[in-house]
Amino acid sequence: MDFQFTDEQKMLQETARDFLSKECPKTFVRAMERDVRGYSPELWRKMADLGWMGITFPESYGGMGGDFLDLILLLEEMGRACLPGPFFSTVVLGGVTLLEGGSEAQQRTFLPQIANGDLVLTLAHTEPATTKFDPFLITLKAKAQQRSYELEGTKLFVPDAQVANWLIAVARTEGQAGSREGLSLFLVDAKAQGVRREILPTVARDKQGAVFFQKVRVPAENLLGALHEGGKVLEKVLAKAAIAKCAEMIGGARFVLDMGVSYAKEREQFGRLIGTFQAVQHHCANMAIYIEGGKYITYKAAWLQNKGLPSAKLVASAKAWVSDAYKRVVGLGHQIMAGTGYMEEHDMPLYSRRAKAAELAFGDASYHRKLVAKEIGF
Amino acid sequence: MDFGYTEAEEEFRHRLCAFLNRELTEEIARQNWEDKGVGPEAREFSRQLAAHGFLGMSWPKEYGGQGLPPTYDFILLDELGKRWGAHIPLDVGYTMVGHTILRRGSEELKRDFLPRIIRGEIEFCLGYTEPNAGSDLASMKMRAVADGDFYVFNGQKTFNTEAHYAEYHWLAARTDFTPNVPQHRGISLFIVDMNSPGITVRPLLTMSGEQTNEVFYENVRVPKSRMVGEKNKGFYYMMEAIDSERNHVFTPCRLMPLLHDLIQYAKETQFNGRPLAEDPRIQDQLAQMAVELEVAQVFAEHSRWMESKGIPMTYEPEITKVFTSELEQRLVDIGMEILGLYGQLEEGSKWAPLRGRIEWYFLHSFMTTIGAGTSEIGRNIIAQRGLGLPRG
Repeated sequence: MDFQFTDEQKMLQETARDFLSKECPKTFVRAMERDVRGYSPELWRKMADLGWMGITFPESYGGMGGDFLDLILLLEEMGRACLPGPFFSTVVLGGVTLLEGGSEAQQRTFLPQIANGDLVLTLAHTEPATTKFDPFLITLKAKAQQRSYELEGTKLFVPDAQVANWLIAVARTEGQAGSREGLSLFLVDAKAQGVRREILPTVARDKQGAVFFQKVRVPAENLLGALHEGGKVLEKVLAKAAIAKCAEMIGGARFVLDMGVSYAKEREQFGRLIGTFQAVQHHCANMAIYIEGGKYITYKAAWLQNKGLPSAKLVASAKAWVSDAYKRVVGLGHQIMAGTGYMEEHDMPLYSRRAKAAELAFGDASYHRKLVAKEIGF
Repeated sequence: MDFGYTEAEEEFRHRLCAFLNRELTEEIARQNWEDKGVGPEAREFSRQLAAHGFLGMSWPKEYGGQGLPPTYDFILLDELGKRWGAHIPLDVGYTMVGHTILRRGSEELKRDFLPRIIRGEIEFCLGYTEPNAGSDLASMKMRAVADGDFYVFNGQKTFNTEAHYAEYHWLAARTDFTPNVPQHRGISLFIVDMNSPGITVRPLLTMSGEQTNEVFYENVRVPKSRMVGEKNKGFYYMMEAIDSERNHVFTPCRLMPLLHDLIQYAKETQFNGRPLAEDPRIQDQLAQMAVELEVAQVFAEHSRWMESKGIPMTYEPEITKVFTSELEQRLVDIGMEILGLYGQLEEGSKWAPLRGRIEWYFLHSFMTTIGAGTSEIGRNIIAQRGLGLPRG
């Protein structure tokens, strides 16, 4: 048992916090909410120079050879800073999918370019029929043709769809919607003929998109993983994405707690600091309980993943807990910061809006409780 | 970051599980923890645990231990908890008092008491709370006045749960009566033989049928050598022990059999011709409990790790305590809802589901968020010590 990070990990954490506090002030976060691209290519380049995009890639592919926990630490800092942009899409949804399912040739082509900061990727997964999260409710058609496939269908809630250079589309090549069998993954050039993208106006203004595929021709060599076997890769990717999202949420939630505590130490009412009131202290204590539980269970799930040990119950438990926890933390943060925190110009709404987006991403708490129910014998 | 156990630790767990599966009956488990109170079976079980080498792994060799890290004691607590045995049979001595004797006691006290604690032979009873000193413990009034080689005690304690079977009282009393000395700087700790003349124990029965006690002291004489550590430092010793006590007492694993039984019940019980387990609400509620048990477990793992490494703990075990005790209430509440009308039946009724265990836990669960410090005091500690918020 050891809750300590290595010296390298601590350094990574510190570097990330310093870098992001300088490069990603809240003025920038707000500006990016209004920006069509939603990120700054200059900052993207600097992050690539720090080695962040390739943090878990093998060194032979231009990466840093780090493990999943390194990525988790980085994401925690990004969540703390509300970093806008396609890091999660590119590195987690793109990078992990390539690592889990890509051929050597695909990895050799894509990973170094991601690591260099030359490529933005994303996963086009969810569809209009998915009114509640279900990873296998896939109908996007991929018709086999001579040495290519033709994709037809619509994807929704595709993160950073608008700025992605490549999309990894989850398509159905066999079976019925809802079945975990018969899925295939395709690397699709975002500029290919027949691909149309739109930004969805979301609560977090986080540039999720709709992607329409109309007779999009994809060369056969862009099939990612085995035909009809994409569901297995997808499951691995979604498990890692869920933990990665937890890390982002925990970072954000901790920032909200820090804001609330500082405010309670400054704000006076009735001639005393509001932080001396037990009602306020207990709100803060509850936030700490939600966050610390979320943090350790996220690390534990990530550690199990890293070790290749059975992790289904812990991953689902983490996403269920952290989704609820972040929601409650922002609720308590708003309660402490009251009217001032309700103002658009305050930092609080940046976090409460993102908490909702993160809660919904990769399955909300009730979805993950269903997975836990299965694990405990239901 | 490492959430695993070493090979040696796993080997210990393996041997321990085999022993517990063979020896730990529900009767003994209930004597350890529940309404029945420690009886001859639990005493014998305690001696057997020690004889088989499962007690004392984490204690220094010179007092009869094995000199290994606290992890072994935590494994023991977890495995007992998974089998309804919420703690070590004579747990006040083993998991609370013994650590303070080791840290602060004289060599004479260590040699006298530690080996007997590790052999599972003796039990202590905490003598802290008084009728007017509950959450505000430092305001206690029990007096200890020096008289030659003795202290003479007068006063009253209450809610001293093991007093009717423990051999020793772990007694906090006021030893400095100077006006204007802050209350917490005038308290000392003592070990008192429970059969000393002048001690009267009167039972108090709790709503869940457990016995706790009032203890009255009338001119009770205790040798000065039975003072633990320095005079007037007792309150500090009590406070420094609290974190480790929380780590050893609030074991999330002890809620596992409850959850497990409820899952079984939901699968085996029909309503309108279908198993309760098919009800999505029941699935969701029990899944949430499983999630929270995992969270409680990582809280415990974290604060235990700090203890094992000697990292100063400030509020971390308090989180484990607050969370685990409140989780017990949520779990029991859901359990009672699942059992419906049958949930109110007591043990002994042929209609009582799950041997009346949930009904008993329902009554007992009112205590968990009060005993050893209320959730409210716990949250004050988390806010003030953990987050640096100012005291009111």
